[in-house]
Amino acid sequence: MKMDLDTLRKKRAARDSRILVTGGAGFLGSHFAVALLEAGYRVTVVARPSKGLSAPARIERLAGWFGLDERLSGALEVAEGDIVDPGWPEAAAGAGRFDEIVHCASSTAFSERKRPEVEAANIDGLRNVLDFAVRSGCGFLHHISTAYVAGKRTGRSAESWVEEGPFTNVYEETKARGEIMAREACRREAIRLNVYRPTIVTGHSGTGRTLRFNALYYPVKAAVFLRDIYAADIRERGGRKAAELGIRLADDGAVVMPLRIEVARGGGINLVPVDHCVRAFMAIFEDGLDGGIYHIANPRTTRIEELVAFGERRFRMEGIETCGPEGFAGRPKNALEILYGSYLEIYRPYMQDTRSFDALNAAPILERRGLVCPEFDYGTFARCMDYAVEADWGSKLWGGNRP
Amino acid sequence: MPKIVPEARATAAQCRHYAMCKIDYLATGLCPSGPEKHFVTYYPQGRMDLYRGLAEGRIPVTEALLDAADTCSLCGICDAQCHFVTGLQPTAVMRALKTYVEEFRRDGGEAVRPAEDEALRRLRAIAGRDWVSNDPAVLWTYADDPFPLAGPQMPRYVVLPGSREEVAAVLRLAQELGLDIAVRGNGGSVFGFVFTDGIVLDMNRMRRIEFDLDNWTAAVEPGVTSFELQQEAFRRGLRVNAAEPAATVCGNLVCTGTFSTWSNVYGTAADNFVDMEFVGRDGRVFRLNDKAGPNHYAFEHRVAPSPGICTKAFVKLHPVTDDEEGLLVPFTNLDDAVRFACELGQRRIGLAVAVLGAHYIAGFLAPDEDLAGRLKKALPEALGVNYAVFATGDRFARDAIQKMAPAVIDAGLLRLLMLGLPRLLEPRWLDLAHDDEGRGPAFELLCRPEMRPLVEAVLQPSPETIAESVPEGLRPFYRDLYARPEMTDMVWLNMHRIVSARMSRRKHMFAFLVYLPPARLDVLHEILDGFARVAGAHGIDHDFGFLTPMDLGKRAILEYDYYVDHTDPAEKAKIAAALPELDPWLDGLAGRVPGVMSLKYVFSQGCSRKESFLYRV
Repeated sequence: MKMDLDTLRKKRAARDSRILVTGGAGFLGSHFAVALLEAGYRVTVVARPSKGLSAPARIERLAGWFGLDERLSGALEVAEGDIVDPGWPEAAAGAGRFDEIVHCASSTAFSERKRPEVEAANIDGLRNVLDFAVRSGCGFLHHISTAYVAGKRTGRSAESWVEEGPFTNVYEETKARGEIMAREACRREAIRLNVYRPTIVTGHSGTGRTLRFNALYYPVKAAVFLRDIYAADIRERGGRKAAELGIRLADDGAVVMPLRIEVARGGGINLVPVDHCVRAFMAIFEDGLDGGIYHIANPRTTRIEELVAFGERRFRMEGIETCGPEGFAGRPKNALEILYGSYLEIYRPYMQDTRSFDALNAAPILERRGLVCPEFDYGTFARCMDYAVEADWGSKLWGGNRP
Repeated sequence: MPKIVPEARATAAQCRHYAMCKIDYLATGLCPSGPEKHFVTYYPQGRMDLYRGLAEGRIPVTEALLDAADTCSLCGICDAQCHFVTGLQPTAVMRALKTYVEEFRRDGGEAVRPAEDEALRRLRAIAGRDWVSNDPAVLWTYADDPFPLAGPQMPRYVVLPGSREEVAAVLRLAQELGLDIAVRGNGGSVFGFVFTDGIVLDMNRMRRIEFDLDNWTAAVEPGVTSFELQQEAFRRGLRVNAAEPAATVCGNLVCTGTFSTWSNVYGTAADNFVDMEFVGRDGRVFRLNDKAGPNHYAFEHRVAPSPGICTKAFVKLHPVTDDEEGLLVPFTNLDDAVRFACELGQRRIGLAVAVLGAHYIAGFLAPDEDLAGRLKKALPEALGVNYAVFATGDRFARDAIQKMAPAVIDAGLLRLLMLGLPRLLEPRWLDLAHDDEGRGPAFELLCRPEMRPLVEAVLQPSPETIAESVPEGLRPFYRDLYARPEMTDMVWLNMHRIVSARMSRRKHMFAFLVYLPPARLDVLHEILDGFARVAGAHGIDHDFGFLTPMDLGKRAILEYDYYVDHTDPAEKAKIAAALPELDPWLDGLAGRVPGVMSLKYVFSQGCSRKESFLYRV
């Protein structure tokens, strides 16, 4: 290994190893960077300028969101660059050598039509990061991947390399290819490699705070927007449009929105609150020094029926039901159901997941620290949604600008 | 000294000279003094120029200027007309002009009254006292335009002839006196071509249209605009291939041959007319179909003079069925859109056909610049629409297109999108569409017929909704306007072309037009890249305009546009530096690739057979 264990431990203990975090303005990247910073490490984040904001400005804004004090935010170094741009390391390299790299930058788009941008980020960008790791003298690469590199495999997913498909979508495919690329490069260059595989990360279990409002949030947001449209139609315009879809107000003021969501029976969605994800990452980062693959998953999945009930309760809606394909026999899908069907189609594999994610590598580390993934119950759901509403699903995170 | 109001001066300087205030295209009626006095001076466009002329010290207060100011009733029609296409509201300028004149009179100012010279006397003997002017204020309104690289140039006289004989007599007199002549169909000028230090002939008084339904023609005099002819044809259940609404039919035929999205079926140049009548430079009258006359159906590959002054065109009338509607076929990339448009041409499906980019689509649909800007961004980013093929067709054509395309925005959906545009562009819907991870682009979902009730519920499309996007004072007008069915009827809008001038709402537009073989996508991209490269090198705003297949998809006409604030000297310098780079590059391409031809060479040879410039044998 380029960096022997003893050196690594000493550098870590002295907190003088320099750590570069890519995707520093992203959801996981920013959370990991802050956690490392709070643990006393020397952290430099790579971030892109976006929507007229420079990388430092974006990071400064994020520091405010995390409530970092002046000392910590002052200690956070920022390198502006886009890993997809082959010239990006100049910005980062200008800031010196790095002992460790936490590679979080990634595209999480699933749609095949977005393949070019997904491949650019998850393959070309990774290649650039690996090249830079070699050039910058990096001794330990922490590669953030996903539990869903398992692709279409069923049953138990092991913390082992996935050499080939089949995959459900371009995201899974490129993340799996990325892991192998990272493995090959790290083997060749004797760089230590940890691969972290979270499942679906949600807001904070205690506060609901999050920076991303996709995945779990998107269908809820769509339902709430539509609820508001039809409630206004009923209250202000006589409800003709609502009536067309059988939408009405219940006696208690709830909006009855007849909506059938097609799901397979059994299984559920694996949700990990971001606070647990961060704690698990830090534990593995600090204790998993030999290199390895680590699942960060919730041992208990949440059934879609539960989420629907959570959503109805939180947002005062009724009439949403889950059913199998037979539920549509004789009664074709209406506009709401088509909209949902289209969106959920791509998430379907994750909504009815019957897989379990082995944690043979991760579990001992987490257990030693007493870390248990919180159950995604109504309380957690409600806190996440309260925050989403407060942030207007992201648009008010920064006083009107998207992150 | 009367005061100049800076805001009014700035608005006046932004006048695009598109002459939309000279046609009654929104059924508001016209500026009352215009149709009576005919000089452009008495239309809002002329008064904008007068105010700018006063502000810049170009003209004194003259008798005609006083008259032009006095005859403005501040009725506000020009606000509606001008805002619809440019976003400007000229009434403030009109008010400032009237105030200026009031202060001038209060200060005891004496208006300039130019002396009558011999030439003026003889011109007046030909055209009548009221229809010839050498008043500097009148001359100024014919001396300049937004083209930043030409003018201003003051003519000595402006003449409004009333007949072919008067045109011939003026030409003979001009020849005798050695005076140059510039002809303006509708009095206006946009691209710096029709300036002279001699006589400007404004054809605005020659406005007769005679329909000959047995021969499927309309005999059109040179002061008739495209809008007016189309309006008359439409009333009779017919259609002509017309150009920009305020441009004159004869002027366009002579200059460009008249091309439009309808050229897909109606062709261009000599396809558009049965015969034309001219007065030659020597004052002799001839028709193009005279066997002994000059052959203007032929084409010379050089910038050539026009055959003379067109005094009548016998324009072809086309039949219309009562089931025509417009639609848009969205595409994520240009090549697919061009292939689709050409396939429509090859299969003879549809009538008007054009590939449009997000810029044009947004401009067409949005009644306000801010909304247009947001839509232009949202179309690709949230809806996945980078290009769309616009087509009109009868029910059979539309059925065929629905079968050929994966998703179609039909006339009904287009109406909903137009009338609900402010709602569509609310960030929360755009975010939802943007974040949609569905298999296809968001527009595919939007186009599904089953989604229509939901789209309606979200957009709440209505004249009230779309009127929300314009300044408050204009909202009642827009509410009434969009309550009229034709304002959301793509066939009506496209054949009357009343939204096309919106393209240059933000800045004055330089349109570059090139004929090309659309099957050669490599050539198309070379042309687009070339225009983009030159514009980029000089920091000029630029965008794809449109592409329309012609002659069964064998050829197409492409428009690419540069946008320049003509009032900004820095922008003027940019375009001055860029233009000389375009000609050699395009000429080289035209020499290499059969079918590539810059419209520049067709200019003034619009009476040619299209075959004589589209093909080289």
